[in-house]
Amino acid sequence: MVTLDVRPQLLDALSALRDRVAAARFPLPLTGAPRARANRDELLAQLDDYLVPRLREPEAPLLAVIGGSTGAGKSTLVNSLVGRRVSEAGVLRPTTRTPVLVCHPEDHHWFSGMRVLPDLTRVWMPRQDADDDPLLPDEDDTRVLRIETADTLPRGLALLDAPDIDSLVARNRALAAELMCAADIWVMVTTAARYADAVPWHLLRTAKEQDATLVTVLDRVPHQVVSEVSRQFGALLAKAGLGGVPRFTVPELPESAWGGGLLPATAVAPLRTWLAQQAQDPAARHRTMARTAYGALDSLKSRMPELAGAAAAQYAAALRLTAAVEGAYDSEYTRLRGRLQAGAVLAGGALKRWRSYPLDCSAGELLDALVESLAALLLCAVTAADERIDETWRREPAAGVPGLTDRDPALESAEHRIGMAVRRWRRVLEEYAEDEVRALEKSVAPDPEAVAALVATALLGGRRARSAGEGLAERIGAHGALRLRDKGGRLLTDYIDKALDGERERRLAPLDALDVHPEPQAELIAALSVLQKER
Amino acid sequence: MEKRAPVAAPLAYDGPLRSRLDALRELVGLSRTRLDGRTLAEAGRVLDEAAARRRLSGQHTVVAIAGATGSGKSQLFNALAGVPISETGVRRPTTAAPIACSWSDGAAGLIDRLGIPGRLRRRPLQSAEDEAQLRGLVLVDLPDHDSAAVQHREHVDRILALVDAVIWVVDPEKYADAVLHERYLRPMAGHAEVTFVVLNQVDRLPGEAADQVLDDLRRLLDEDGIALGEYGEPGATVMSLSALTGEGIGELREVLGHFVAERGAAARRISADVHATAVRLYPVYANRRQAGLTEEAREEFADRLADAVGATAAGEAAERAWRRNANRACGTPWLRLWRWYQDRREPPTGRLSVRTWTDEEVTARQRVEQAVRTVAEQASGGLPAPWAQAVREAAVRGSQGLCEALDELAVRAGAPVGRPPRPGWWPAAVLAQASMTILQVVGGLWLLGQVVGVMSPNLGVPVLLMVIGIVGGPGVDWACRLAASGPARRYGADAERRLREAAAGCGRARVLDPVASELLRYREVRGQFLRVTGIEVPAG
Repeated sequence: MVTLDVRPQLLDALSALRDRVAAARFPLPLTGAPRARANRDELLAQLDDYLVPRLREPEAPLLAVIGGSTGAGKSTLVNSLVGRRVSEAGVLRPTTRTPVLVCHPEDHHWFSGMRVLPDLTRVWMPRQDADDDPLLPDEDDTRVLRIETADTLPRGLALLDAPDIDSLVARNRALAAELMCAADIWVMVTTAARYADAVPWHLLRTAKEQDATLVTVLDRVPHQVVSEVSRQFGALLAKAGLGGVPRFTVPELPESAWGGGLLPATAVAPLRTWLAQQAQDPAARHRTMARTAYGALDSLKSRMPELAGAAAAQYAAALRLTAAVEGAYDSEYTRLRGRLQAGAVLAGGALKRWRSYPLDCSAGELLDALVESLAALLLCAVTAADERIDETWRREPAAGVPGLTDRDPALESAEHRIGMAVRRWRRVLEEYAEDEVRALEKSVAPDPEAVAALVATALLGGRRARSAGEGLAERIGAHGALRLRDKGGRLLTDYIDKALDGERERRLAPLDALDVHPEPQAELIAALSVLQKER
Repeated sequence: MEKRAPVAAPLAYDGPLRSRLDALRELVGLSRTRLDGRTLAEAGRVLDEAAARRRLSGQHTVVAIAGATGSGKSQLFNALAGVPISETGVRRPTTAAPIACSWSDGAAGLIDRLGIPGRLRRRPLQSAEDEAQLRGLVLVDLPDHDSAAVQHREHVDRILALVDAVIWVVDPEKYADAVLHERYLRPMAGHAEVTFVVLNQVDRLPGEAADQVLDDLRRLLDEDGIALGEYGEPGATVMSLSALTGEGIGELREVLGHFVAERGAAARRISADVHATAVRLYPVYANRRQAGLTEEAREEFADRLADAVGATAAGEAAERAWRRNANRACGTPWLRLWRWYQDRREPPTGRLSVRTWTDEEVTARQRVEQAVRTVAEQASGGLPAPWAQAVREAAVRGSQGLCEALDELAVRAGAPVGRPPRPGWWPAAVLAQASMTILQVVGGLWLLGQVVGVMSPNLGVPVLLMVIGIVGGPGVDWACRLAASGPARRYGADAERRLREAAAGCGRARVLDPVASELLRYREVRGQFLRVTGIEVPAG
C-alpha cells in the first residue's frame, strides 16, 4: 500500500518549487505565452490549493469536487447527496456562480481557514438565509466560497459544487478549472445529451494525465435508454483509456429536472456509498489520497519542463529583440564613423561657410554651422537605427508588448538631447583652444575662436578640410595643432559614443523593464530535480 | 428526379448589393500588390461564393439546421419534413453527415454546391398544403458542432459558409454553452436577419420555466450582439418548440414559409457576408485621421532640402561678397593701402592660402535622408500599416539619386563663377572717391607750395580743399556702403532663392510627386472600401 510518508525535506522542496513557479513571468506576447500563463496559474493553484496542504496535513478531510458542463445537474446532485438544498439549482444557465463547499460540522475548521483555496473569500451562510441570499457579496469583485455544513455527510468528506467548466462567463470557467485542481476526488458529471461533448472530455483527459482519482456520473438519463447510453458512455471511456474509472448512472426523474428538487436517496445511493467508503475506510482513503497526490507530483515532471521551456522561449525572444536594437545601433554607428571620416559634416551649409571663411564668414558662424551639421548627422543615425529596429520588430510577435513599439513621440527629445551633447562638445573644444592659445608665447596671439573653428573643421571635414589643418599649424605651430587635434578628436569620439549609447539605452529601457532573464528556466528545472531527489 | 428538373431562374442581386460586390472585387484587385494573400483570402472567398450562388436557383432558399449534439436537430428536421428522414437516437453523436431535403425541383445545383451526395438527398412527405407553404425550401440537417468528433465540426463549418439561412437548435440544457455562443453566434452576429434560434425540448420544462429559459436565451443572444427580430424590426427569429410533441412546429413552418416566399435570404446572406468582410478589413483600409501631404509638410521638406544644399549660407556668402567688393571698389585709397600693408606684415593671421575646391558631395547626405524620412513619416501618419509602408517605400525609392541630383544642382544654380556683377553707379562712386583724393592731394600740394614758398600764401582755399577731401572721402565711402546694402541683400537673396527653388523642385519631382500619387492610390482604394461598406462617398 502506498502511504503518505511526507518528509519535511519534500515539503521544503515543494514550497521552493512553488515560489519558483509563482515568480515565473511571461510578459512577451509569444504564441505560447497565454498558454504558459494559464499553465502557470493552474499549477500554482494546484500547489496552493491541493498539493502543499494535502502533504502537510494528510489527515484533513477528502475533498470531492463535482465538476461538469452547464446544465448537467451538478447542484441537484450535491443537494441530493447532502439531503437538503445547499446549492441553488435552476433552469437558467449558468446556475451556480458561487462555489459551495459542504462538509460535516466537525470538519468545518479544516475549511474555514485559509488552508486550502487561499484566494477565495469565505462566506459563512446561516441556514435560514440560504434560500434568499441578500447577504451574498457582489461576485464581480471578489471570488467567494460559500461553506455549508451538514451532518448528513460522513466525517472526513467534503463536497464542492463547482461552476460550469464550459461556462459562457470566462471567470467561471477559470474558477472551475482551479477548483478541479484542488480535489482529492474528481467527480465528473455529464448527461445523456452531453456525454460526447468535446469540453468534458478535455477535462477527463486532464484527470487521466494527472492520474487523479476520478469518478464519472452519467446524470439525467431517461430511464428508457439507461442501458444503451450507459453502454455507449462506457465504450467511449474505455476507448479513451479510462475503462477502470468508477461509473455511476443517475436516471432522469421529474424531481431532477427543473425547480431544484432533491432526488430520492436511492437514486444517488451508490455514489454516496462509494464516496463515504473512500472517506471512512482507512485503506481506501489512503489509496485515494495517495493516488491523486502522487499523480499531481508526477505530473510536475512534464508540466515543469513545459513552463521552463516557455520561460526559455521568453528569454530567447527578449534576446532577439535586444539583438535587433544592438545590431541596428552598431551598424548605424559604423556608418556614422565612416561618414565622419569622409567629412560628411562639412557639407551643405557648413561647407558653404567654410568656403567663405574667413572673408565672408566669422569663426563663430563656421562653428555654429559645423555643430548644427554634426547634430543633424547624429540625429540621422539615431532615427535610421530606430527605423531599422521598428522594421525588425514588426516581424517579431514578441514586440507587441504595450510600451515597446508604440513609444511616446520621443524624436524631438532625441533631437534635443543630441543638440545638447553637441553644444557641450563645442564648449569644451573652445576651452581647449583657449588653453592652447594662452600657452602660446607669441606677441600677437591668434583669436581662440578662430582656432576652435579650424580645429573643428579639421576634425569634422575629413579630407576636404586639409587646408584647415594647415591653417591651424600656421597659427599655433605644428606641435600645438597636433596636440589640439588629438584632444579634440578624443573628445568628439567620447561625446558621439555617449550620445548614441544614451539613445540605445533609452530604446532598450522598456525591454529591460520587463525583466526577462535566463534564470527562471534553470531555476524551475533545478527546483524540479530537487523535488525528485527528495521523493 | 434531377433529370426532369427544370432550369430554375438564377438569383438576381439588387442594385446596392451588386455595386457593393463590384466595389469589393475592385478593392481586391487594387490591393493585391499591397496586402498579403491571407488578408484578402476571406474577401476572395465571399466574392466567389456570391458569384457561385448567383448562378444557381433564385427560387430556392437553403436553410441549415445546426446545433449541439442531442439538441434534437434531426428530430426537428423530421418534424418539418413530415417523414423520419434523418436518423435520431440516444447514441451521441447521431448524425455524422449532412442530409438535404428539397421541397421543390430545380435545387440540384444548390445541393451539389454543399457537397451532399445523391444518396443523402430526400423529398418530404408530399401534401398539397405543405407543398404550397414551403415551396422553394431546401433543408439541410447538419451534424453537431460540439462533440469530440472533429470531422463533424468541419462539416458544419464548411456548410454554414454556403447556406442562405441557419436554424440554430438549442435545448434547455445546452442553450448557454460557451462553444455555441463564442464560436458561432458571436462571429455571425451580422447575419441575424438570416438566423433562427429555436429552443427545442420545451416539453422537458415545467410550466413557466419555458418562458424563463426563452427570456434568458434572448438575453444571451442580445449579449452576443445579435439583433432580435422583435416588434417588426429585422433580426433573428427566436422561438420555442418541441419537436417531440409537435408544439410550435406549425408556427415555425409558417415563419419559414414566409421567409422562403420572400426569396431574399440568399441576397441578405451575401450582404451580411460582405459586411462582415468589410468589418474584418476595416483595420487595413481605414485611416485614423486625415492623412496626406499637408502644405506645411511640403514646405518643411523644401526647407530641409534647402538646408541640405546650404542655401542660406550660400545666400549670406554671396551678399557679403557683393558688399565686400563694393566696399573695396568705393573705399578710400588710404584704407586699401593700409589693408595691403597689413596683409604683407602678418601672413599667418591673415587670409588662408588659396584653396582649391573639389565639388563632390556638396550636399549634406544626412540632412537629405532625414528630410525624406520626415516627409514620409508625415505623409503616412494615420494610414493603415500596408499603405503607410507603400508611401514610405515610394519616398525612399524617389530619394535614390536625389543627393547626386542636388550636388549637380548646387554647382549649377549656386554662386555664379567669377566676380559679382558691377552695378552702373560704381564708376561714378569710384570717380567721386578719386576726386576726393585728388582734392586732398591738390590741397596738400598747395599748402606744401606755400611752405616752400613757391606759391603766394593763401591758407583758406587749400585747407578748405583738404578738409573737403578728407571729410568727403569717408563720406563717399559711407554713402556707397549705404547704397550697396540694398543691392547686396537682393543679390544674396537671389542666390539663396535660386538654390532653394532648384532644390525644392528637385525634391518635388523625385519624392513628393511619387508620395502624392501613392496617397492618391490609397484614397481610391479607400473610396472603394467605403462603397463596400455601403456608405455613400461624398463627391470630391
